[in-house]
Amino acid sequence: MSGVQLVDVTKFYGTVNVIPPLNLSFDEGEFVVIVGPSGCGKSTTLRMIAGLEPVTSGMIRIAGKDVTWARPKERDIAMVFQSYALYPHMDVAGNMSFALRLAGTSKEEVARRVRAAAEMLELTEYLERKPKDLSGGQRQRVAMGRAIVRDAYCFLFDEPLSNLDAKLRSTMRTELAILHKRLDRTMVYVTHDQIEAMTMADRIVIMEQGHVQQVGTPREVYNNPRNLFVAGFIGSPSMNFLDAELQDDELRVTGQGFDLPLPPRLHEAAQGHGARQVIVGLRPEHFAARHAGGGTEASFLAPVDLDVKVAEYIGSSQFLAADIGGRQVSAAIEVGPDSAPLTSGTYLFDTNRVYLFDKTTGDAIA
Amino acid sequence: MAARQINNPLHVLGHYAALILLALITLAPIWIMVATGFKDDVIVQQKEPIWFFFVPTLDNYEHIMTRGKFDRYLWNSVIVGTVATFLTLFLGGLCAYALARTEFRGRVLVANSTLLVRMVPPAVLAVPAFAMVLNFSLDNDLAVLIFFYTALNLPFAIWLLFGFYKQIPVELEEAAIVDGATPLQVFFRVLLPLMKSGYAVAGIFTFRIAWNEFILALLLTGRTTRTLPVGAAGFITDTGVEWGRIMAMGTLIVIPPLLFTFFAARQIISGMTAGAVKG
Repeated sequence: MSGVQLVDVTKFYGTVNVIPPLNLSFDEGEFVVIVGPSGCGKSTTLRMIAGLEPVTSGMIRIAGKDVTWARPKERDIAMVFQSYALYPHMDVAGNMSFALRLAGTSKEEVARRVRAAAEMLELTEYLERKPKDLSGGQRQRVAMGRAIVRDAYCFLFDEPLSNLDAKLRSTMRTELAILHKRLDRTMVYVTHDQIEAMTMADRIVIMEQGHVQQVGTPREVYNNPRNLFVAGFIGSPSMNFLDAELQDDELRVTGQGFDLPLPPRLHEAAQGHGARQVIVGLRPEHFAARHAGGGTEASFLAPVDLDVKVAEYIGSSQFLAADIGGRQVSAAIEVGPDSAPLTSGTYLFDTNRVYLFDKTTGDAIA
Repeated sequence: MAARQINNPLHVLGHYAALILLALITLAPIWIMVATGFKDDVIVQQKEPIWFFFVPTLDNYEHIMTRGKFDRYLWNSVIVGTVATFLTLFLGGLCAYALARTEFRGRVLVANSTLLVRMVPPAVLAVPAFAMVLNFSLDNDLAVLIFFYTALNLPFAIWLLFGFYKQIPVELEEAAIVDGATPLQVFFRVLLPLMKSGYAVAGIFTFRIAWNEFILALLLTGRTTRTLPVGAAGFITDTGVEWGRIMAMGTLIVIPPLLFTFFAARQIISGMTAGAVKG
């Protein structure tokens, strides 16, 4: 079996268990993003794959080989670090060729590969510069170049974009995605930023306190979050959660200040659910403004009263910080760039997009 | 505010006056040493000291070079200074690296408390050291001095290098490991180039102390193992103090550490221009 597999991997620091038995399998050529809040064990997991952190028990396989106790250089991996970890005393070419030189690759081959990687990353004119003479984005690219020249089986990224400013980050996201297409290598990418996860991943692994909460494509984890944690973590701004009660007919859910019909996909699940008390999840982007002039609305849109505190203008839409029945929620409403600041009143919610969660377990009711 | 003060001519004048005064205080003893080395005995013994205008002579230097055992002392000093410095940097570097990279409770306390040992003046150690050396019949062996100077210098070297090693992010080593470097390659190809300035600073201090130290050297060396400072003291005789020769010898003693410092300082500067380690 090729790709990367973690089988019952655990990690203890002394008596503290940071990774309970963990099972993950990444396909060859797949771009997997491990995402979660800080301290969730995502970096530890990546470092265990890299061989920088020994596992306490379990097995790690890369390209079908058991590498659990292999040294990093025997794992056919390349890694990009959060701090880039460029060697300050070597120029860009020296940094990129270090691994090849250590491996005893011929001079011509080293030069050829460095040139190819530099061209791919638009670093050709900087090859003789030292890292301190480069901008943040260029350093980032050198760090990637250092990984690319290795032509490794698997690339590991440890929050490589977190030191860049927002604009550069989004450019680099695109470049990374293009790079993945070109190299067609297995990539495991760790981040706390769910936008990076959503935009780049073939599959996302969402972790919390060492436990995998959900594994799935960006669409799966966004559309069908398995529990409250995933629902709250994926999506920006994050999902609103409101206490509510299932009505006796089990086709409606009512809370303070709102009453929403359930989408057909939830009917059966809601009926099978024992408890009446639930948590309703409403994504901010599924709110909408009422048409001016009171035209007829589609049947799946239900009215919700929002007591708007602040309306943030961001161009084509506005972010509202509002109250529903005394509970704070956020809403992102597409109204076009010329709209006036939105005020309190009746808005609409797409009832096909209502999520239900068990109040005690936090699991999705679906 | 600061800019205006500097532009004020009075302030500039005061500034330079203070600097010149400080420079004079520092340079005066050196001038006295160098000048006295070129004076003959008659001038040196004058009641009114002659500061600048005298006929210089090379008699003192000639005497030292031809009639003393200068070459022997110089060789001893070079051996003791370089070997002790090398040993101190080697052992201190290993120790500092281990301290910087191993997490344990009280790590910084251990690193800093090595400085306590440094506070003990060599003179305090002189008597027990002398007794030990006699006990082992090592009183005519250069290894003894090398051993004591290494021991005296290690705490400071460890403390200093610990600070330098701590500045180097662990990720650099991890990146090298992932790149396929063995532990020795990590050390020699990644760490050592970044530690150049640290080792240069530690080297300057260590060499200077090993080269200049007098009391232990006086007690622990014999006729053939004397170092230069002890040799210079040989000009204090029962018939009088030969100031001219002592000062000439002092001048010669100063030269090697000066050269060494200039050389090592170049490493410090190149280390600094190599850029912040954090990159």
